[in-house]
Amino acid sequence: MFNKKRNRFGETLIEWTLRLSGGTTTLVIVLISIFLFTEGWGLFKSSTVEKGYVLCVNRSNKIQNLTPKQVKEIFDGNITSWKQVGGDDIPIEPLRMDDIASQYTEEEIGANFEHLPQKLSEAIAAKPGALAFFPEQFININFQGRVLPAETITLKEYFGGKEWFPTATPAAQFGVLPLILGTLWVSIAAILIALPFGMAVAIYLAEIASNRVRKILKPLIELLAGIPSVVYGFFGLIVIVPLIRSIFHLPVGETALAGAIVLAIMALPTIITVAEDAMRTTPLAMKESSLALGATHWQTIYRVVIPYASSGIMAAIVLGIGRAIGETMAVLMVTGNAAVIPHSLTEPVRTIPATIAAELGESAMGSVQYQALFMLGAILFVLTLGISIWAEIIRKEPKVQ
Amino acid sequence: MKLEAKNVNFFYGDFHALKDINMQIDSNSVTAFIGPSGCGKSTFLRLFNRMNDLIDGTHLDGECIVGGQNIYDKSVSVDELRKTVGMVFQKPNPFPKSIFENVAYGLRVNGVKDKKIIAETVEKSLKQAALWEEVKDKLKKSAFELSGGQQQRLCIARALAISPSVLLMDEPASALDPISTSKIEELIFELKHDYTVVIVTHNMQQAARVSDKTGFFMLGELIEFNDTKKIFLSPDKEQTQNYITGRFG
Amino acid sequence: MQKNKFTGKRANQAIFFSLFRLMSYLVVGILFCIIGFIVIRGIGVINWEFLTSAPKDGMTKGGIFPAIIGTFYLVIGSMLVAFPIGVMSGIYMNEYATNKHIVRVIRVMTNNLGGIPSIVFGLFGMSLFVNKLHFGDSLLAGSFTLGLLALPLIIRVTEEALKAIPDTYRQGSLALGATKLTTIRRVILPAAFPNVMTGLILSIGRVSGETAPILFTAAAYFLPHLPTSVFDQVMALPYHLYVIATSGTDLEATRPMAYGTAIVLIAIVLIMNLLANLLRRRFSK
Repeated sequence: MFNKKRNRFGETLIEWTLRLSGGTTTLVIVLISIFLFTEGWGLFKSSTVEKGYVLCVNRSNKIQNLTPKQVKEIFDGNITSWKQVGGDDIPIEPLRMDDIASQYTEEEIGANFEHLPQKLSEAIAAKPGALAFFPEQFININFQGRVLPAETITLKEYFGGKEWFPTATPAAQFGVLPLILGTLWVSIAAILIALPFGMAVAIYLAEIASNRVRKILKPLIELLAGIPSVVYGFFGLIVIVPLIRSIFHLPVGETALAGAIVLAIMALPTIITVAEDAMRTTPLAMKESSLALGATHWQTIYRVVIPYASSGIMAAIVLGIGRAIGETMAVLMVTGNAAVIPHSLTEPVRTIPATIAAELGESAMGSVQYQALFMLGAILFVLTLGISIWAEIIRKEPKVQ
Repeated sequence: MKLEAKNVNFFYGDFHALKDINMQIDSNSVTAFIGPSGCGKSTFLRLFNRMNDLIDGTHLDGECIVGGQNIYDKSVSVDELRKTVGMVFQKPNPFPKSIFENVAYGLRVNGVKDKKIIAETVEKSLKQAALWEEVKDKLKKSAFELSGGQQQRLCIARALAISPSVLLMDEPASALDPISTSKIEELIFELKHDYTVVIVTHNMQQAARVSDKTGFFMLGELIEFNDTKKIFLSPDKEQTQNYITGRFG
Repeated sequence: MQKNKFTGKRANQAIFFSLFRLMSYLVVGILFCIIGFIVIRGIGVINWEFLTSAPKDGMTKGGIFPAIIGTFYLVIGSMLVAFPIGVMSGIYMNEYATNKHIVRVIRVMTNNLGGIPSIVFGLFGMSLFVNKLHFGDSLLAGSFTLGLLALPLIIRVTEEALKAIPDTYRQGSLALGATKLTTIRRVILPAAFPNVMTGLILSIGRVSGETAPILFTAAAYFLPHLPTSVFDQVMALPYHLYVIATSGTDLEATRPMAYGTAIVLIAIVLIMNLLANLLRRRFSK
């Protein structure tokens, strides 16, 4: 009588579709981590010397290899003797293609550069201190110099390097320290600015404001969260940046401070909402017993409500920092983007997201710079994921007595 | 349609909620289950349309037989079963739809498309539930505009619309005022001509008024099951006597 | 003495409370300041021509029509990706999943995805959709990237909407012989509909303002024609604003265009928020 009659294939199919949809977010997170790391990891296997180019020295030179940093310093003229990099006391003579071309006449090189390999070889052999940088194709069979092995970028150089100069030749510099510090510098400054306001608004909304006022203020604060970050960036650019320039008498207004102020405004809604929710969970009985002991409303707030909500308030701060760290467009537009280790709030800085946004468009797919930027993305991903999980853990912590 | 329980044991996780219950319920009769809160009478009722399936970690031993078929057999389709065994809940639970659509819902989900048949069935069911006169002019209004008692009769009409053979009622009048309650009771009395009605109640007068047979449950056991008159006038068991005379529970 | 202490405590409270009120109004004041500033400076350029014609003369004249259309397409595309998956995911979590741990994992993952910066979505979209799947810089790649970004919001809203539906609806429907699927389709979803729509509208507001995810997946600086296929690049409002605010050849001359674009973006967000609030108020009895 109650036997299954209809074919349930359709329902089973739909149930599986629902199940798959439920797994989407997990899948996306896994995919993001796989893609960022596989694209980025190649960085540590590739040479910083431009593809297709080589570095060569005279055969008498004892130097076995040079780090990217040393190469850059040599070509910048900051290192002038092989002694400084562990060799003999001979001055270094950098040789670029341009130098070769200017030393010989067009006839000597040949109309189609057919004699160039020969001349290169001669030039290197003639100068014991030579360090030549030229395309690999110009090495012929009887080449008299010695090719230095291509150096890969090490993890230590990447994370400890103080210079981010991805387009430098012959050796690009990928030190992310200035970017990481710049990101933290701006974000923490932003939270320090936002925190007093965020707490004040949260307390006001949770404890003081009448229902009517709350109903007006809450949607407005939601709206603050909804304004696109380019609009914040634009506002920062036309209002805050000139203001900072004139107040501090700076040559440019695009500074860490401008970024921090814009980020503070953007992080406010997050801080307010999470902190207010936390304060609202304070049991009424707790507040009433404090009031019954003769404490004023304000005393009850700071002795009962805030301690009770402390873990939620911490989570609010952490989430606010997370929001600030990941913010891209607004920061890109107002911080000036100089990749230097920050020392003050009134100089330009560059954050990780801004670096990605500014440089990815110009880097060739699969190039070292492209890989370095994906590695930055991976760092950002891990950083923000860690912050999300951290905030989650803080929220779950047992309440203070 | 007859109902039967054979050696029924039921568990919520580790908790043994029903212990070795055997019972036979006749067609076209009203059977009442009484007993203190948490005695398992509702759980037992809900076994007959498998509403307990919705609760995680439950487990049944034994057989529940409806119309000669073990409804916990693998071949049984739960939705087909629930069409035959209707249910009315403790609190009225109309859907957020119009009065008409509430009653028509069961028909529509069971594939009835003919508008005429639907309209006729809705009217018939509302009449059966003694609600027609009160709502016939406002069928398109939201079901939430009705009073609690009307909503409950609407839910009964909704259950009747798919012409079940059995009607399970889980304390159908406990959330209602006395006047609405008496209307529901009259209705139950009428319904037994066409349906097998099983009702759970904690109101003993109600059980005495409407039912032919009464089962008394305590701590997951069926203590006594007999003609209602016998239960209320001269029960066999002392526990039943104590409960009915109000010494506990 | 006693009386002094009493009034002292009160005075303290009054000071702090006024301070908090003042700071709260200040925060809201920032909002009005931003919107007001941009609107006052830019309202002059908003006219029919601005909204319906393409940029001209190096973005110093003309309008933003292609960017409006591009953003419109991106919103539609991303919602086609995110809305079905998000709603189904919410249904799965609230109606189907029986294992509490699985639901917890999904919820944590959804929250985490929501916390990932939009630029990371941009990187991911570029490497998966643009390069690996060979969509190229296109409307399609941008829609998928923005869709994934909007997914957590839609899932969260759907789950909350479903949670708010009383269990009695489910039981009532099942007891009438409806299958689980029928119950969801006929009772649960209609009842949850207004709240789910609120989520959709808020996501539209969010998606239409995002720049970083489309930077490398869809957005074009300038296109002479409107997109004709999903594999075309598009102009988009937020990217357009970024470009003309920072990298034009004559920044002063493009300023009015930038103000106008910002007004349109703000208007979209305002309208979406307003709609969502109206819907919420209308249906929450």
